[in-house]
Amino acid sequence: MQLGRVVGTATATVKHPTFQAQRMLVVQLETSSGGPDAEPILAFDRLGAGRGDVVLVTNDGRALQELLGPTTPGRWSVIGLPDAGLEKGERR
Amino acid sequence: MRIAEVIGRVTLSRLKEELRGGRFLIALPMPLAALTEAAPGRGEDVIVYDVMGAGPGSLIGLSEGREAANPFGKIKTPVDAYCACLIDQLDI
Repeated sequence: MQLGRVVGTATATVKHPTFQAQRMLVVQLETSSGGPDAEPILAFDRLGAGRGDVVLVTNDGRALQELLGPTTPGRWSVIGLPDAGLEKGERR
Repeated sequence: MRIAEVIGRVTLSRLKEELRGGRFLIALPMPLAALTEAAPGRGEDVIVYDVMGAGPGSLIGLSEGREAANPFGKIKTPVDAYCACLIDQLDI
């Protein structure tokens, strides 16, 4: 599990069938100092996170397979929205 | 999944039977600056198995590692990078 910031949303018409009707966020994972950690990822979200939000994401593919089915090629999903304190810079 | 830009294609003369029907793309993962400010930098190139029909210039959802073989179900397939969706729009 890792913290990241939502930088936007992605829309795809042609996609793996298990992605149908799912919300995909573009999330930039962050290091403990708040800097970017590697390239942004596409994460599935059912919690309603929006641009600028800090999110807790998991790279447990099994967790996503529970939601989207065993053949899904997705991996990352949003599992929590931290309290506002984090966004005010407590982490930095 | 990372977001990647397709820059080319690999053609194979011989390949494992399980891989027939797909194509092999050359794709470069997109760092945050490439998505937000159209910066020229890209990540390390990846060869990606594709059945969605992505072409040069397409932005794709790049599934990597164990999850990349999930769409093949129980058929053991040596794929570790899979084009999971064609991105129409990024709202960033």
